[in-house]
Amino acid sequence: MSAPIHIPMVPSDPMEAWTARVNGAQFTELAHSHSILLDVLRDHVGTLGVKRGCDMGTCGCCAVLVDGEPVLSCLTLAFEVEGKEITTVEGLADGHHLHPIQQCFADHGGSQCGFCTPGFLVVSAALLDKEPDPSEAAIKEAIEGNLCRCTGYQQIVTSIQEAGEMLRNGLTGDDRTEAASDPHPVGPDEPTLPPGDAR
Amino acid sequence: MSKGYRQAPGGSSDKKRKDGKRTAGKQDFGVPGSGGSNPYSELQDIERIPNSQGGQLEQPRGPHVHDPHITGQTIGKATPLVDSRWKVTGQAEYGDDIRLPNELVGRILRSPHHYARIVSIDTSEAEALPGVRAVSTGMDSVNRFGVLPVTKDEHAMAQDKVRHVGDLVACVAAESEEIAIEALNHIHVDYEVMESIHDMEDGLLDSENPIHDRGKYHIGESNVQKRVFQQFGHTDAMHDAPFQSKSDWTFAGLHHGFTEPHAVVAHWDPNGRLQLYTPQQVPHYVHRALSSVLDVPMHQINVIRTFVGGGFGGKSDPFPHEMCAAILAKKSGRPVRINFDREEVYWINRGRHPSRIQMEVYADEKGRIAGIETDALIDGGAFASFGHVTTYYNGVLHTSPYEIGGFHYTGARVWTNKPASGAMRGHGAVNSRCAVEVAIDDVCEQMGVDPMTFRLANLLPPHCRTITGFRITSTGMRECLDEVRKQSGWDDKFRKMPLGRGIGVGCGFFISGSGLPIHWDPENFPHATVHLQCDMDGGVTVHTGAADIGQGSDTAVAQSVSEVLALPLDMIRIRSRESDTAPVDLGSYSSRVTFMNCNAAIRAAIELREKVLNAAWEIIGYHPDSLVLGDRRIYYKRDPAIGVSWLQAVHKAQADTGSLIASGAYRTPPMGGVHKGAAAGLAPAYSFSAYVAEVEVDPETGFVRVIKAWAAHDCGKALNPLAVEGQIIGSCHMGMGQVLSEEMRYGRTGHLLNPDLLDYKIMSVHEMPEVVPIIVESNDPEGPFGAKEAGEGPLLPILPAVVNAIYDAVGVRVNELPVSPDRLYSTIEKQCRKMGIKDPLDLPNPSFEPSSLQADLENRAKEHAHRDLQRDLLKDRSSYVNGVLFGFDPDRPLPEQSEGWRESVTPTPEDLADPKKRAARAWSHVERRKRRDDA
Repeated sequence: MSAPIHIPMVPSDPMEAWTARVNGAQFTELAHSHSILLDVLRDHVGTLGVKRGCDMGTCGCCAVLVDGEPVLSCLTLAFEVEGKEITTVEGLADGHHLHPIQQCFADHGGSQCGFCTPGFLVVSAALLDKEPDPSEAAIKEAIEGNLCRCTGYQQIVTSIQEAGEMLRNGLTGDDRTEAASDPHPVGPDEPTLPPGDAR
Repeated sequence: MSKGYRQAPGGSSDKKRKDGKRTAGKQDFGVPGSGGSNPYSELQDIERIPNSQGGQLEQPRGPHVHDPHITGQTIGKATPLVDSRWKVTGQAEYGDDIRLPNELVGRILRSPHHYARIVSIDTSEAEALPGVRAVSTGMDSVNRFGVLPVTKDEHAMAQDKVRHVGDLVACVAAESEEIAIEALNHIHVDYEVMESIHDMEDGLLDSENPIHDRGKYHIGESNVQKRVFQQFGHTDAMHDAPFQSKSDWTFAGLHHGFTEPHAVVAHWDPNGRLQLYTPQQVPHYVHRALSSVLDVPMHQINVIRTFVGGGFGGKSDPFPHEMCAAILAKKSGRPVRINFDREEVYWINRGRHPSRIQMEVYADEKGRIAGIETDALIDGGAFASFGHVTTYYNGVLHTSPYEIGGFHYTGARVWTNKPASGAMRGHGAVNSRCAVEVAIDDVCEQMGVDPMTFRLANLLPPHCRTITGFRITSTGMRECLDEVRKQSGWDDKFRKMPLGRGIGVGCGFFISGSGLPIHWDPENFPHATVHLQCDMDGGVTVHTGAADIGQGSDTAVAQSVSEVLALPLDMIRIRSRESDTAPVDLGSYSSRVTFMNCNAAIRAAIELREKVLNAAWEIIGYHPDSLVLGDRRIYYKRDPAIGVSWLQAVHKAQADTGSLIASGAYRTPPMGGVHKGAAAGLAPAYSFSAYVAEVEVDPETGFVRVIKAWAAHDCGKALNPLAVEGQIIGSCHMGMGQVLSEEMRYGRTGHLLNPDLLDYKIMSVHEMPEVVPIIVESNDPEGPFGAKEAGEGPLLPILPAVVNAIYDAVGVRVNELPVSPDRLYSTIEKQCRKMGIKDPLDLPNPSFEPSSLQADLENRAKEHAHRDLQRDLLKDRSSYVNGVLFGFDPDRPLPEQSEGWRESVTPTPEDLADPKKRAARAWSHVERRKRRDDA
């Protein structure tokens, strides 16, 4: 086998200002014309929830929403989406209330190691946004570009169905600033009163 | 009651009304964790209080050391993973998400040759490149390392030769990734290419230039890394058995396919200590390896485990790139981050061994398994990794769950110029298990018995010893088979479906924690240690070294502590990340974490609970034996009104020392035989599983689709059913990938053709069938709350279940995995030609005619079911060893009772006479201490 081909370092073109709204906030970063959206999001914007899995669009870990449509950020040039609205996994929650899809992935085992989870979350959030009561086939079609090695997908599909149910009933996810268990357990003969009741 | 700490609720009686109601204007709520302001907390359901504490909790089957500690708090309830919210909000930091200020980017120069001697390396040009901060070669890391102490054969970077394409040659740290990549182009390496070997059978031949050349474990002048011989039982007589199945299997190599590529960040802090951030299953081995490679004492290294984006065994070796990052960080004086691209992940590999397995199963006229003869040649690639163990596992892990008359195993692992194979989910047991189960199906076909019945009539009972001396405690194998038979509708489907539809069964058996900690003597040092620390806030911090790789070990440990202390889960905090704070732990492999760490955690929690109960005794005056733990409250079991809050008791216990700490450890009981290799496959408990798969096969194209799978797994006790089901379904996904599509494909020149996720075909959501997870609980007497493993064992049975189902569908047996359409179709074509059939659709549909043996076996299965129940409930305390089914007395040594019974681990020339056996050929080499040394 011959020696590796030497590709000389080509001076990069000068960086230009790249602007987009990421998770509702305006960002202006310096980027090359050939910069990949994934790199800009991870290295400049700082949304490390967007994961790098394969760099070639095969695993779906890097999926983000561009104007509400799922896009693989590793196959997208940053300047292709200039000025658009980008949503990453960090932007799904409503303040400190989890998005129902986040809540359900956590509660129904949709996430094991969690590395593919951000991609699944944004893709299924986009699906539920359009179709709050998707059929199983529609769910499978929506997540067909995402690989998960841990769960075997079954609990992911359940999570998405449960999240659809929550959305249809107008429920939001838990307030994640609150403890999961009741911090003030109340005895059986003690009436529960609204907070601030002085008795 | 301590007067000094005023926050304690109910601290002074003058602020509280006697009836426990709050006084107006005073504190509205109790402190979190205080048990509330009301002394009358809910009476615990008497059904949930164990007998030992005055309750009526029904005892599970068998003797059970942990039952008194069940509080009904969390164990057995579907519990979301404690770190799941980090993951769903994108806040979980994986290897590549660690960003340190002023960091450099590291890149690795890899070998373009399969096998070559390095003549020279010139790095001067790279070093001169602007922006390059450090360049390192093998000169900087002469110490070797390896995951097993007996086979340390790796270096951070190649010393004198490169052993596979992708082997590490040099590395660079630079200001940006672009500069680092460019710098690699300026490192000039002179190679002298040598003849490489790629076929594992070539590894058995004499070699002038063996891939490794080292002392005791180097066998002759060949590429044999390890060879194993084991012979137990009537290994001569079994060859005369009337029913025989012989098959020759080829299994492709496999990669774990975790979604997170390897990444590492190394940083020497201002005090000169190394901080290494890495997604590792086994941080402790990295810790050890770093210490010896860098020549730095272990206390000067802190290994920080990041979140791990999937492991499956692929992140359990100490890796050379981790050493490279540390070396570059030292040279440059700045943090260095190395992250792999997907292709590099395949170069480092450590996946399942490509194997060729010759499997012979013999059955006698009474429908018993007269013997199993296995010859397994496995392709280790360029390094040893876990291979020493894998070579044993390929044989010893199929000595159960069936009672067998003889066991003859020859195994060998050879080095080839490929990326190294290593441990992968179901380590070493998967391939040979598939071959055994398919052979059993074949034998049943010859005998005319239902394979379900045959299996049920040949199972080992609970509390027995296998033929090689494994100690089986609990087994739920029978329930697993019964469940899948019932739920899948087996009796209506087996051999009764039309051509192209089929159903098949397979069983599995796996260790629940390796019985031998490979780095130390278990007599001196335990397998797992857990520290608990309880502060004034009442919450409990758990320090453990168990690596949560997504399987939920943090959750399981938290549940165990929460259960013993009757605290809600969010009062338990797990610190399992840093080697600085964690007690030494062997890490997440061999399915040991739940069994060993939860046991250690339970012991620590019991110690802590004793201290708290003693403090409660001082406050309320009732002996700890008569106290019950409820939710954040400790009360007298006869009158729940008399009690004290958790926080009050904790403060009392802390009164003098200011601290409340406890520590627990787990070590395995003494077990196993004394022969060479007896420790391989030893475990404190074993998991069992039985799956049924239903498939659809297109005889005209060879395309296989799995329609549904019923998966029953005996995990002892499901501490967290949500996680256990996730493991079962996930295992099925991975196993079906191996049986249908996954394969590391090497080309004619030995090049890996598919180092990416497009061509290495992992099942997508469309191919994945419905899996019905069935949890069987056998309540292991030594497991934590009765639990055993659920992470690896569930993978094993899906392979043979699918292969057997394919036979049921089209009547051909494949013995090459994966069963891709081309492979299956060529088998179908061969079958057609043999039978003189033109159209594959005219193939005869396999049918089932029960012979007279069927009724006998059904009766025996019924008798055995009764026997197992008696043994399980410990009404029957007689000893049982493999061999009782063949008429042996279990209380006398078996070799004494029969002339032909053999127990040997050194082969005689006659044992190796069969020229067709591959691994047996490894014994033709003479073992020498050094090469060209006359023995």
